[in-house]
Formats: sequence, structure tokens, C-alpha cells
Amino acid sequence: MTGERRISLRVNEQDHELDVAPRTSLADALRDQLGLTGTHLGCEHGMCGACTVWVGGESIRSCLMLAAQADGCEVTTIEGLAENGSQHPLQESFSKHHALQCGFCTPGMIMAAADLLQRNPDPTENEVIDWLGGNFCRCTGYRSIVSAVMDAAGNGSGEPASSSGVEVTANNHHPITENGR
Amino acid sequence: MKPAHFALDTPESASEALALLSAHGDSAKVIAGGQSLVPMLNFRLVRPERLIDINRLDELSYLRVADGVLAIGALTRQHEIETSPVVAKEAPLLTQATPFIAHPSIRHRGTIGGSLLHNDPSAEYPLVLLCLDGEVEVASTRGNRTIALRDLILPWFSTTLEPDELLLEIRVPVAGESSGFGFEELARRKGDFALASVAVALDFDGSGRVERAAITGTAGRLAQRLAGAEQALIGESPTEAVIRDVTSAAAAEIEPVGDIHADEDYRRHLLGVLTGRALRKAIGDRAGSQED
Amino acid sequence: MTWIGKPVPRREDRPLTAGAGRYMADIQLPGMLHMVMVRSPHAHAKVTTIDTEAAKAEPGVHAVYTAADLPANLKPLPVIWKPEGQKPDAIGALPADRVTFVGEGVAVVIAETQQLAEDARELVRVKYERLPANVDPIQALEPDAPRINEDWDDNIAAHFPFRNGDVDAAFAEAAHVVEGHFKINRHGAVPMECRGLIASWDALTETLTIWSPSQATSLLRTELAKSLGLPDNAIRILSPNVGGAFGAKWDRYAEDLLVCVATQRLGRPVKWIEDRREHFQATAHSREQVQDFEMALSADGQILGVRGRAVADLGATLPSSGIGTQWVTGNTVPNQYKFDNYSADIFAVLTNKARAGSYRGFGGPEGNFPIERLMDKAARDLEIDPAEIRLRNQVQPEDMPYGSPSGMAEYDTGDYPQALRRALEVVGYEQIRAEQTALRERGIYRGVGIGAYVHCTGFGPSALLGQINYDTSGYEGARIQIDPGGKVTVYTGLIPIGQGTETTLAQIAADSFGIDLDQVRVVWGDTSQTPYTGFGSGGSRSNLAMVAIMNAADQLKAKMIRIAAHTLEANVDDIEFSNGHLGVRGVPDSGLSMQEIARIAHLAHNLPEGEEPMLQTQQVFDPPGFGWAYGCHVGVIDVDIQTGMLEWVRYVAVDDCGPMVNPLIVRGQIEGGIAQGIGGATLEEFVYDESGQPMTSSFMDYLMPTFHDMPRYEIDHLISPSPHIRGGFKGMGEAGIMSPAAVVANAVVDALDPFRIEIDELPVTPNMIWRKLRDAGAFEDGQPAASLAP
Repeated sequence: MTGERRISLRVNEQDHELDVAPRTSLADALRDQLGLTGTHLGCEHGMCGACTVWVGGESIRSCLMLAAQADGCEVTTIEGLAENGSQHPLQESFSKHHALQCGFCTPGMIMAAADLLQRNPDPTENEVIDWLGGNFCRCTGYRSIVSAVMDAAGNGSGEPASSSGVEVTANNHHPITENGR
Repeated sequence: MKPAHFALDTPESASEALALLSAHGDSAKVIAGGQSLVPMLNFRLVRPERLIDINRLDELSYLRVADGVLAIGALTRQHEIETSPVVAKEAPLLTQATPFIAHPSIRHRGTIGGSLLHNDPSAEYPLVLLCLDGEVEVASTRGNRTIALRDLILPWFSTTLEPDELLLEIRVPVAGESSGFGFEELARRKGDFALASVAVALDFDGSGRVERAAITGTAGRLAQRLAGAEQALIGESPTEAVIRDVTSAAAAEIEPVGDIHADEDYRRHLLGVLTGRALRKAIGDRAGSQED
Repeated sequence: MTWIGKPVPRREDRPLTAGAGRYMADIQLPGMLHMVMVRSPHAHAKVTTIDTEAAKAEPGVHAVYTAADLPANLKPLPVIWKPEGQKPDAIGALPADRVTFVGEGVAVVIAETQQLAEDARELVRVKYERLPANVDPIQALEPDAPRINEDWDDNIAAHFPFRNGDVDAAFAEAAHVVEGHFKINRHGAVPMECRGLIASWDALTETLTIWSPSQATSLLRTELAKSLGLPDNAIRILSPNVGGAFGAKWDRYAEDLLVCVATQRLGRPVKWIEDRREHFQATAHSREQVQDFEMALSADGQILGVRGRAVADLGATLPSSGIGTQWVTGNTVPNQYKFDNYSADIFAVLTNKARAGSYRGFGGPEGNFPIERLMDKAARDLEIDPAEIRLRNQVQPEDMPYGSPSGMAEYDTGDYPQALRRALEVVGYEQIRAEQTALRERGIYRGVGIGAYVHCTGFGPSALLGQINYDTSGYEGARIQIDPGGKVTVYTGLIPIGQGTETTLAQIAADSFGIDLDQVRVVWGDTSQTPYTGFGSGGSRSNLAMVAIMNAADQLKAKMIRIAAHTLEANVDDIEFSNGHLGVRGVPDSGLSMQEIARIAHLAHNLPEGEEPMLQTQQVFDPPGFGWAYGCHVGVIDVDIQTGMLEWVRYVAVDDCGPMVNPLIVRGQIEGGIAQGIGGATLEEFVYDESGQPMTSSFMDYLMPTFHDMPRYEIDHLISPSPHIRGGFKGMGEAGIMSPAAVVANAVVDALDPFRIEIDELPVTPNMIWRKLRDAGAFEDGQPAASLAP
């Protein structure tokens, strides 16, 4: 192939040698050549955040990085976030708070959130919103994601919404449950 | 949405990069952070024959203060600028403006040089650097030259950089003892391209009057100095009445361009509103630093 | 052991949070080729020539097809909802000689890789002769507007009238009339995963295997079979994980046909996935309507009648569901209110834009907006509080079942006034009203907006679908198999698109048998295994699948009881089934587990006379009527009058979907629907310029709602069971999106009451607000008027 070059990537603590065309994005290299399809393509113009991975320990948009630019770098994808078969606290809290529905934005969202928590283990809600503001989700309406990240950081209520367990009877109504409280 | 073919060079030194630019400048584009360039490549809006990837040129990433000047390497990442205590002290306008650039993961890769040279009409750095009366140092195999910001930026994503030139460094004077700075931007959503934005840099004299003022604004066309607004402020104490005059002058002077997100009239109005807010911020900034 | 009402976390989550989901783009097949579409850059043009030679000659290119290359017997995909008077239309694969919107596919290129296909695409030379284009739906009503469908004698797809009572008399005797000219913006589903299809033809067995994120795979299969001339059972459609759909993946499209043709021709699997730019240009848009409605009222605010006209801009062709969306609009306008005199003329027209198709709510939000705005206008004119005027007009619980004046909607159960009162109580309505004036004096313009709604769920009784010329069925089937080891497998025709189908259906099944959740597996997304469904996932119909599961479970429980009785030599009436265990009543320690019964049933060594071996059954539930979810949302917004920017203060939603199987999942549906509603009301729009060029073909220009744009959601529920759905479930998948637009517009109008502006157009943007304020004299020399400054 024209202009292909060999690059070395250390992905999720495993070393790889790949031949990539100059125009191959890091996202495509991860997905197509390493089979790491957890990183998703939602727009290929850097707006949606679904493709977020870590390069050199910081979150970036892999659709905007050429694979060749990652030569020699350490890459972490969603598949590499969990350690030793157990879940990352964010993976657990996302499920607890129903912070995902279709799951398409979720890997990018979690990678972005995980970067926040490694820099700022004690964020406020506004800091979470500011950090994740460029990651789109079409399903959840976002507040459950905020709760999930706050909970994983140890700053949330700990209780997901709608867990009151109140007995349901006809023509009754539930007490108020505000998201996160 | 894949880009058209291009060849890729990854120089390991600035001189190697210059040699490549000299040989291929007309058909090549430099790629730094790629946060603006790669979308354009993916949309096939641009199709250079060759990309010159300068990300290995660590020598172009630095923050240095000397002789009253803050020198910033062109490859310095936006995130570093955002979080640098040096920048916060010497060029707080950059610290105020950087969080408005897109989102954190973009700022991890995006560079100040790349943003400046892409020169999007709504971009933060051209506006701020113009306000600070900055200058850039560029190099080519023909030699180096210095370009003042006002001579660098042109309307519509253009600069006066020659095809064979590489941006090395951006320089701004460091903040003075009696300065105040304010940056304001309004976008449809946080992180979006600005509908209008304003940067204000003020120097006050001992009696609280404005001794020097730099006000730059953009509303869809190009970062511009708002000299009329500055004149309404210089020599005055910034009372509410003065602020009103300055904002009116700024709104009258700005050259807005409308699009589907905001029409011209609204951008002009916004520019005025943001001028007032940036002014108040700069005044408060000065007052705050006085209390320190 | 009961699982109904339990907010269990979803079983879907573990793989999805680990990045182990398998979406269509993730699927690689040996020998797979990649297809791209060549799309028209013109809104309306004759296609004079297409030169494919250069593209075909490119290395790695396997084929380039235009309309001329397609099989002669390839039929278009059908429009399956054909309300009376709707003109005929179909969804063709490629146009023969004319394009009618920017983005319409004119050719396909199939190559070894996506990159090569995109490169070769640029070498396809299409010669166009431009024709005048029209993007104005009102202009489209005119006989001399550019003709979009040349088989029709105008651009009017349908004119569907609703008539009830005597509106003329109502308006003649009215003490007051309010009116509004409303514009609903063109926007749509925009899921995070783009649309696509993989198809693989096996020439030896003459079978076609398809991977599709379609919401309606049974329909897709039937329609493809007809179009391709294959038997239904030669096509198998597998569902990968779906990255969101919201209706846009329910419709069928040209590409669905083209990928199948390609694989049949080339004998290799072919993958097509659109990119985001194509998504904005060619995947279903929705919602766009221009409306004029007026309301006649008595002096004390009683609605005497409503009449009006809505013109829906369908783009260049009808979607799979015809003018169904617009039919729903006509049905939705009467909303929660009690009146007899109703007249609505619903027009659907063609223009040179992308097709408008299904989107969550399906015409409901378009009907909700005008009526809720009219209520507020009436309240203002008659100086009645907007909450009070609604209370004076709502259908009461004792009126149920209530036939709305649309003539086609019978509300089943619900307490509309209680939902409104509860929402007001939660938001602290009186307090907010009391503070408004004082806040304004401080320069804070705060407003409250109410949006009451009803929403039709459980779509729908097959016989009724027949009556409205919907060429499909509305039942849901469920197959349950208990294997020799005693584990339960539920097969459903529903397609999970994010709504937690696996978890909620497992809850129903586990609850039915009284067993642990982990004893139940839910199988979905394989047309060769899962029950046929004429509708699939859309129309808020999970509840129908739930009934089918419960009915199937009943059958299997009865069989297990018979087998237990036989095995234990007891009377059937003396056998108790509880918590997965069958025993003789009053004899503890007797009995058998479900596992043991399952083993007995499979061995068949000693079964009751006439009893069939194994434990499996299928049940189909065809609902006797629609369900009607409802609710009331109340929003509080601050408007910055200097910039027109909005800030959320509160958002309260009181919704009633009957009993909830999983409250966590219901909450997610409501919040997601509200978010989309807010996005559509304030940010999103597909914009076209006058020549028909799309101006919003990327996420830079089509503004999705983000974290920053959302209020905190305060969610409360009422529970009014459905009378004809076992378990009483009504469904809440779409209801959240019904009234946020009305909430936003009403709140902003209320906030800016001193300026007496109207907000009847969507989206409500800062630019629009500022312009209205300026025209109302709010500014002097660009600054807020001195009288308004704090």
C-alpha cells in the first residue's frame, strides 16, 4: 500500500507492530487491525467523543489522531480499563445509575470520565459536566451519567434514583425522586 | 468518512521540517494537534498531497519568561497553557480564554500554534494574542522573521504565513503590575464556536483611570482591534456611563458576519454586551489583584 | 419472589461498559466488501449521464452500479401505511433519471476497503441538469410548485381531515378566540450510531443473511423478500447491538435493497455504513410542520372548539409509514381537554429535502405544541392562570373511557388533574409565581411553562391497523422454552435499541415463574428463531410482549402442574406452583422443582395421557385497544434578556405509564425523551437554503443537546393501569418527548411577559428571543431600556 509505515503501539499493556497507511486514524487501526472494537466511531470529526481513548495516559479523540502519530505511544482503550477481570468503579457505577442505554457512547464516556477521576479524584458536579460536556449521549439525558461519575468518585449519594422500593399500588403515586438524591 | 491519500513525513528536528517545507511547501500542510485539520481531511474539504507531522519537535513546546516577554513554543498544548501557573501570572488572558476552546480531550492535543494559524473567525487565541499585541517568530530555509499579530491574521481562515514557513514561537509582553484582563465569549453551547467574543487588557494609572486599553472582538469574521472603543476608555475612570459608551462604540465598530446560528444584528448586539462584561471582568481583575 | 417494580440494574450493561458490545460496524466477515453511495449534490436535477468507467477501473473496486445495472425485477420497498386519500409512493433503490434531494443516492461503489470505495466514488462522473427546487412546504401546496413526484398531479401526498361536532357554531358563539401560527422545526432522531447494513448471499443454499440495526427486522425481511423476489424464509436477519434508533432505524431505505443486490451479484458479503454527513443528509428527518390553529373559548375559559390546518413537509418521498406521523398529529391536538367541536385539516406535502420519517413520539409532539401554546395564550387573554385554565378543561377520571373529538382516540385510564396538581406541588408553583415580580425588579426574568400531554402506546390492535389502512399487524409474540436443565429461555421479536428489553422481559418471565432472574435468558434479534412481529420496536409496545410472555408462562405452568400431579399421584387442584417449585398443598417437603419437572417432560418416560413432551410454547398477544400514557411537565426557565440565553431552573415531570416493571429503566426513558425534547425545542434543526442545499451536515451545525443544556430532572409517577393489558403496563418509551417544547415556549413567554411576545416557532433560540425583545422595544441603543435595568 502507498506510503505504509510500520508503527509500534503498546495497547492495553500489550505491544503491537502494525503497518498503517498515513491516512489511517488511530481509531481505525485499533478497531480494524487490533480488533478492539469497543472504541466507536460516531462522527469522525471530533465532535461526539465516542472514540475517546487514552494516549500517553490522557484522553484524546482517536478519530482525530493519525495512527502514525501514535507510534511509540502507550494507548489505553475501554477494553484495557478493567484490571484483573474486575470492573473499574466507573463501569460498576454506570450500571448502578442506569447511565447507559444503547451503550454506543459509553466506552468514550467512561474513558473521558476515568481521565477526569485520575486527575481530580474529588470533582464537583460542575467539574464533571465541564469535563464531559463534549461527549454526546442521545439516550440517557446525561444526569444519570453525572450521578454515576460522582458516585464512582465517592461524592454521590450512592443511591441510584428510583431505588426507593416503595410498594406500588394502583392509583398511588411515588414520592419524588430527584436524580442523585 | 476517510481522508484522501496523503504522504506523511515525520521530521525529528525543526531543520528537517524546514527542509521538507522548502521542498514541498506548496503541496504540503503541517499537522500539529490535528484537531482542526483532521476533520477537514475527513470531510475531504482539504486534500494536501503531503502532511508534515511536527509532533516530534519537542523543542517547540515550552513556556519561557525573559525580559518582560512570555515566549510560548508553537507546539505547546492548549491544556498546558490552561493549567500553567506561569501563564496565569504572565498572560492571564490566555488562562481565561483557553477553557472556552472546545473540550478537554481536544485541548490535550490542540496546540497554540495550530489554533493561531488555523485562524477560525471564532477562535480564542488569535483574539487574545491580538489583544496582547503579540508577535510570532517564523522560520524557513530562507531565514527567520518576526510578524506582529495584526499583520499575521487575515479574514477567513488565512494568515500571511508563507507556504514554506514554520511557526516557531509566539511572544507576548508579560502582565504589568497595574493590569486587568477580561475575556468573554458566547456560544450556543459551552465549547462551541463563539458567536461573539471579546478580550480586554487594561492598564490603570495610580488614580484608577485607564492608562492603556486594548479591546479586541470577533463576531464571525476576524479578530479585530476595536480602536474606537479603546479611545472611549483611555484616560477615563471606568464608570457605568463610560462602560456604556465603550460598549456602544464596540458594537458599532465590529464587522459581524451572520450564519445559521446567529445573524449579523444579533452578533453585533452580543459583541456590545460581551464588551461590557469583559470590561467589568478586567476592572474586577485589577481590583482583585490589588487586594492580594 | 416478585420482580415487577424492581429497579434491577440491567444485564446488558456488563458487556457494554466493557466495550464488548457488537454493533454493526464491528462485524467483520471473511471476504467482506465495502459499499459507498454516490449522492446527488443537487436538490432537484435530471440525471443525464453517469460515467462509471474510471471508478470501475480503480484497483480494489469490484463493482459500480447505477439504476441501469439493477435487476429488472427488483421492486421498490413499499409504503405500508396508506391512509385514505394518500397518493401512492414507494422507496426505490436508485433513481432512473432524476434526483429530488441533496444526498439522494444515484450510484453505488463496492470495493475492498472503505477507503478505496470512497476514493473511487470521486471518480464517478454524474452529469446533472438542474431543475428548480422548492423547500417551502406552503409553496408546495401551490399547483405550479416544482413537481417532486411525476406520477402525481401536485405535491400533496395527502389531505387528511378530522371533523367532529360543529366548529363553525362553536366559533360563532365563542366569547373569545385565540389563534397561533406555529412552526415545528425539522429535526430528528440522530442516534449516536449511524445507519448501515451487512448482507451476505450464499449462492449454494440461495439464502441471504443480513446484519441490520433495524427496529423492525421482521418487516424488513418481508419487504426485502418481496423486492428481491425471494421467499421470506430464504432471508435471515440478525440484530447486532443497536447504537440508538428512536425511529430512524424503523423505516426502510434504498440502501437496504442495494446492499442485498450487491451481495447477490458479487457473491461476497457486503457492508454499508453511512458516515455522519450522509446521516444528516439522507437518514429520516422528522417533525417539520407549519400550522395554523385557533381555539374558541367561553368567557370563563372553557374550550368550545378547536380548528386548524397543519402542513407537514415530508421531503422528497414518503417514508415507510406514509403520512402516519401526521395522522397521529391530528389525533393528538385535542390532548387532555374535553370538547366536542374539532376540525383539523392535515396536509402532507413533498419538497426537495430529505425524506421525513419516524421519530420518537411519531407526530405526537407536533400535535402537543400548538394546543399547549393556545392554552397559554387563552390564559393570558382571559387573565386566568395557565394551570387553572387547564384544570377547567381536563377530561376527568370519571369520564374514562373518553372518546376524543379526533374520532380515533379513546383514552383508557388516567387522572389528568392529579398529574397537573402534583407537578405544580413539586415545582412549588405558588412560590414561583409569588417571586416573579420581585425577581424581575432585580433583572431576573423567570418563567414557568406547563406542558400536559397524552400519548398513545401499545401500537396496536391489528384489526384497527387494518381499518386505518396500515398494511401490517400489531401483535407481539413470545416463545418460552424450558430446557431439560430447567432454565427458561424467552424468545422475543422486539429489538433492543437501548430500552433494556432483555432485563425487563427477563423480569416478567422470572416473576411469572417465581424464579431468580439468572434462571432466565432472553433471546432476541434473529428472525429464524424469534417470533415474527409486524411492528418491531417502535410505538411503545414492550408491554404487548410482556403480556405474551405472561400468557405463555401460564400455559407452561399449567402443564408443569399437570405433570407434577401425575408424577406425585395427586390431584391437579392440589398442586401448588410457587417460586419455581411444585408441591402438594399442605404437604411440605413434597414436590418437585422446575428443573425436575423439566427433566421429566423431556424424558417423556411417564407423562400424563395425551400430554406432549418438552416444555415450550408460543403465545401471541393482539391488544384489544391502544393504551394512553399521559403526564404533565412543568419547567422553570430564566431568560437573560441581554443575550437571549436560557438557563434551566427546574424541570418537573409527572408521568403515568401504569405500573412499571423496572422503575430505573422507565426513568431512563423519560429523561432521555425529555433531553431530546429540549434539544428539539432549543438547539436542533436541519436547515436548508433556498436552493435546497443542506446547511447542517455535521455536528458543528446540527446542535445536539449536551450535559450543559440539561436541567436536573425531578421525576414523579402516577399509576393508572391499562384496563386491557395484563399487568396494566402502558409503556413510557416515547412519552417523555411529548411536551418539553411546549414547556420551553410557555416558560419563555411567561418569563418575558412584560414584553408581551409570542413564541410559536421552534427552535427557541437566543437569536430569536433577542430579536423579539428588540422589536418589542426592550432595548435602547443596544442596552436594555433604562426602565428595565436592575
